[in-house]
Amino acid sequence: MAQDEYDYLFKVVLIGDSGVGKSNLLSRFTRDEFNLESKSTIGVEFATRSISVDGKTIKAQIWDTAGQERYRAITSAYYRGAVGALLVYDISKNGTYENVNRWLKELRDHADSNIVIMLVGNKSDLRHLRAVPTEEAKKFAAENNLSFIETSALDASNVELAFQNILTEIYRIVSAKQLDQGNESGPRPGEGTTITFTSSPDEIKKDSSKCC
Amino acid sequence: MSSKKFNGHQEMVQLVGRNTAAATFLKSTVRQQQSAQGYRPVLSDDPKPYGAGYSHADILRASSKSKTESTFAPRFDRHISYTDLDDDWDASFDKDVMALGINPNSRSVSPPNTLPRTQSPMAAQDGTSSQSHSPRLELYPTSRRNGGSTAGLRPHYDRIVKDPANSLHMIYHPAVSSADTASAAEIELLNARISRINKFKRVLQSSNVDISALRNLAWSGIPDELRPMSWQLLLGYLPSNADRRVSTLARKRREYADGAKQAFGNGVDHAVWHQINIDVPRTNPHLKLYSFEATQRSLERILYVWAIRHPASGYVQGINDLVTPFFQVFLSAYIDADVESFDPGQIPKEVLDVVEADSFWCLTKLLDGIQDNYIFAQPGIQRQVAALKDLTQRIDSHLAKHLQAENVEFIQFSFRWMNCLLMREVSVKNTIRMWDTYMAEGSTGFSDFHLYVCAAFLVKWSAQIQTMDFQEIMMFLQSLPTQSWTEKDVELLLSEAYMWQSLFKNATAHLRPSGT
Repeated sequence: MAQDEYDYLFKVVLIGDSGVGKSNLLSRFTRDEFNLESKSTIGVEFATRSISVDGKTIKAQIWDTAGQERYRAITSAYYRGAVGALLVYDISKNGTYENVNRWLKELRDHADSNIVIMLVGNKSDLRHLRAVPTEEAKKFAAENNLSFIETSALDASNVELAFQNILTEIYRIVSAKQLDQGNESGPRPGEGTTITFTSSPDEIKKDSSKCC
Repeated sequence: MSSKKFNGHQEMVQLVGRNTAAATFLKSTVRQQQSAQGYRPVLSDDPKPYGAGYSHADILRASSKSKTESTFAPRFDRHISYTDLDDDWDASFDKDVMALGINPNSRSVSPPNTLPRTQSPMAAQDGTSSQSHSPRLELYPTSRRNGGSTAGLRPHYDRIVKDPANSLHMIYHPAVSSADTASAAEIELLNARISRINKFKRVLQSSNVDISALRNLAWSGIPDELRPMSWQLLLGYLPSNADRRVSTLARKRREYADGAKQAFGNGVDHAVWHQINIDVPRTNPHLKLYSFEATQRSLERILYVWAIRHPASGYVQGINDLVTPFFQVFLSAYIDADVESFDPGQIPKEVLDVVEADSFWCLTKLLDGIQDNYIFAQPGIQRQVAALKDLTQRIDSHLAKHLQAENVEFIQFSFRWMNCLLMREVSVKNTIRMWDTYMAEGSTGFSDFHLYVCAAFLVKWSAQIQTMDFQEIMMFLQSLPTQSWTEKDVELLLSEAYMWQSLFKNATAHLRPSGT
């Protein structure tokens, strides 16, 4: 598998209340799998997938976190070094949407201030049970400077797009930043660069032209 | 050796089918309206607990007997302090909240069967059940095959309810006569098993069970038939003194019933109840037993009552895994069927109540020893993870160095090992075998010994891990290839853990981080 060559490595976290479908979003994106009978996530789980943007290979290293509050102390450690966050709620459960503010606070407290946040209303297949109007969430996202999308891990709609969008957004910011800094050389293909907005490069291993 | 030897009475027993709809005090009528996809509960969104999106409050209020208006403020402050962990709750009232199955008449009656006589899957499987069960098949062919809703229920179950020691008289040795076609090796295996059962029986039948003798035996595994009683003794739930057993069990079960009534009576803590409610359907989803309504309602009550009685930790995800070995083992005491596919809704309610109460108390005993794992910031787990790292440096420095070079942190993979006692890594059956040894290790089995098991578990994959990079290691450790593990693999793991424990336990200098 020579697929481990990439131009950019972005660390992204999946957060949100318990039971909103974070793990299934991740498995849909990384393995195209969905499991109705999946167990709850304990602590954090990890998966990766590479996509292509503007001819560049972007590798997403995604950390799926447990939603229960007791785990907050453990999971917030994973926010460090993350350049993106998918903040997931369940469109059929108003409470999971109400809690979005508390999750935003978590990010403010523990993540980099420049982290790109995407609000994700999952379980859009449950049309008949919708409790959170799309317009309301869209408005909230705009007010808070978040991107917004509705997805269904079950029927796969918009899952690909959600990840594609956030990774592209991060990529744009990063490349603009590199231009600003006059970093003309840029990252060399095949060598890969770990992107962090602040300087905490110890977070993720840098290299990787390594194959398995 | 005689060809067939049966100790039990050959009485036919038929039972009234239980009304599965009659859940104790928590009958949630609307609970699980199936959506089109059939997996999401339909609920109102009244209060908004953090980390939990919706609530069953309304449903609960409507269906519980108490009409008390509950406030949505955290209820923990209204509870007794964390130190109040005494097992013996005030059993102030003595109504028969639950018929505790101590009905002396039920044994001999054969009332008409009220439920449709559907053949249960268990009855169908009987022919293929394990060796130890087959002789009984000959004894009780009709009671199980035509038993309708009570198929799988053991004869004299009511005596076992009353005193688990009564099960000792009902173990049928699957003796093999020379006429049988069994190979010499099979006969030898069987005889070894019988002699092992007899060793246990000698200890368990004593009027005052010698717990250290039981521990010595249990370390190498407890025969299935004797496990329910042995676990209860090892955990200190069942008194070792035979004279105290019947009354103690009756009292503890009543206390649980009362405690449950209390816990649900004052209005429900929505955050806790909600979390339990979304986790119970995700508990051991691959085993049929856990998909049944009766199982799920029991687990919900056990977890909720425990959480309310232990406000400093409350319910933490993963505790739902830990209750299942108890539930499964204690249920197995009353049935003659494969427990992992059995519907507990088929057994009389008073028996299921007893399984539930006993599971609750034994879960409580287990968690008493690892409380620090589940309180705020989970310091117990943090400590265990740090200790695992130190231990790994001692046992396998190459592996430790490789993990460090790849920036793999121990907490990333071993948090779950500690939080769920490796139950996400090995099957429930194998976990049960592991717990025989943990309980035999005494009160620190689930903490100290578990640490050495984790170390042995990690170094098992050392060679593979050392060929991997960060990403591969993470993915590998998240889903280790233990699906095909048998009891043999578990026993090897346990003996390796024992070896590391003998080498390193109390040798604190060995455990001191080297570099610092």
